[in-house]
Amino acid sequence: MSFEIPIGPQHPALKEPISLRMTVDGEVITGVDIRLGYNHRGVEKLAEQKTWIQNIYLTERICGICSHSHATCYVQAVEKLMELLPPRRGLYIRYLVSELERVHSHLLWLGVAGHEAGFDSFFMYTWRDREIVMDLLEMISGNRVHYAINTIGGVRRDIDEGQKAKILEGVATLRKRSEYYFAIGANEPSFVARIAGVGMLSKEQAVSLCAVGPVARASGVARDVRKEDPYAVYDELDFELCTADSCDVLGRVVVRVKELLESYKMIEQMVRNLPDGDIAVKAPRKAKPGEAVSRYEAPRGENIHYVKSSGADKPERLKVRAPTLGNYPATIEMLKKGFIADIPLIFAAIDPCICCAERAVTLVDAANGAESIVRMSELRRRALARAKNAPVKGNAVWPF
Amino acid sequence: MRIAAFLPELLRHLFKKPATVDYPFQKLEVPQGFRGTPYLNPEMCIVCKSCERDCPAEAIEISDVNPAEKRFKMVIHNDRCIHCAQCVDSCPTSPKAMQMDSLFEIATDDRHNLKKEWVYVRAVLKPKAPAAAPAAPAAPAAEPKA
Repeated sequence: MSFEIPIGPQHPALKEPISLRMTVDGEVITGVDIRLGYNHRGVEKLAEQKTWIQNIYLTERICGICSHSHATCYVQAVEKLMELLPPRRGLYIRYLVSELERVHSHLLWLGVAGHEAGFDSFFMYTWRDREIVMDLLEMISGNRVHYAINTIGGVRRDIDEGQKAKILEGVATLRKRSEYYFAIGANEPSFVARIAGVGMLSKEQAVSLCAVGPVARASGVARDVRKEDPYAVYDELDFELCTADSCDVLGRVVVRVKELLESYKMIEQMVRNLPDGDIAVKAPRKAKPGEAVSRYEAPRGENIHYVKSSGADKPERLKVRAPTLGNYPATIEMLKKGFIADIPLIFAAIDPCICCAERAVTLVDAANGAESIVRMSELRRRALARAKNAPVKGNAVWPF
Repeated sequence: MRIAAFLPELLRHLFKKPATVDYPFQKLEVPQGFRGTPYLNPEMCIVCKSCERDCPAEAIEISDVNPAEKRFKMVIHNDRCIHCAQCVDSCPTSPKAMQMDSLFEIATDDRHNLKKEWVYVRAVLKPKAPAAAPAAPAAPAAEPKA
């Protein structure tokens, strides 16, 4: 006899709204259904009404953790469209912030993994150390979360010698701490026992389900945009692609800790070899008609932005494919044959960012469950009909 | 493998100061260049409306008060502001008419308290500054610089 257990959209184990429906046979999960659409904000439509510059700050707000990833991916696409070549120094600062962001994201994730595995002191310590990199980012950009360092054609702020020294000092501390965590991860038997063998995803499955980022790399798939399709400065940096072959949550922890160490290496290289010169070139207000796709290795995996211009000062279309969306099909496979108690751990191991991934909404008929695709013109017609049927309140007042 | 590998670290921290501070009584300093709240320096504003045009949150509003006197009103809706400081970047004057302060404790119980407004006469700057003003909407395409 099998039951269906709904987890979410609101559930203490989930940080963001998503609905996972598990078909279980006793304790074992036999089928999983992921339902999205609880966090749809219409960002892509909003982007069509804002100018190229305004959209930097909008795309930055797609996600709070990988804010720089989305902004950079968007800016890369727009620069391709406008045929701008940002100065070297600007690029170095931009991807320095990228790597610092990866450090903060992976440290955050390590803490969450510790928390989900019941190792809360690990969570407290990684998050304490994450403050170091958050302070560095605040010092460089003026804000802890939304760095807003990108502009079309370069970056907005320069870094000076004092800041360089502080970055190197912070990274040295963080490296020591990360090496310590790596040793803890390898030596703490209870932690390893909790995460080893959980959420298996074989290499073949990872390839066929198009897993991205650390999830794919933990299954032995050497897939990283920074290595495969090096953008901007990554072909000049010396770093290694981190993979693991254990195909489970342990592998995902190992890959992320290794990536942390690689990121420190890259940060040091970028700070030491920071070229002189301008940090930005002036961007035109309008872009030529055309389209551009940009790829970016976000902390969670490959991020893709597609931008289409009609020659105006606004994009005609912006499409965002966040890495979490690419990992959902693989998550379903990981959850299958697992236990109910492993759901938060497995789901957290893809580092899910629900608000990144919510890009489209499917209309489902509540009565019979039929899904339908509706054209924009039809939606508009419905909206007009709805407005006609509901008279506007003439005496509406602002409630405050 | 050894049991409780993390324990020495935990014990060591029993005798250390906490990593946090007692916030309302003790405050951390924000770094230089922190993006706080935007404000206007009315003596410098030439009413080119660059900030109004570029603001991603549409938080800046510039309107005529008396066109004959060249008197304008700027309202900054801080309840909408996303503190990106694009207005400071867009401001063409030097020194900038739009500035950011380093305040971060700006929470209030009514969003209307966050609105700030200035009524001022348009500044007429020496010819040097307006010439550098990139207020023209069709800026020339920038040449890619290596």
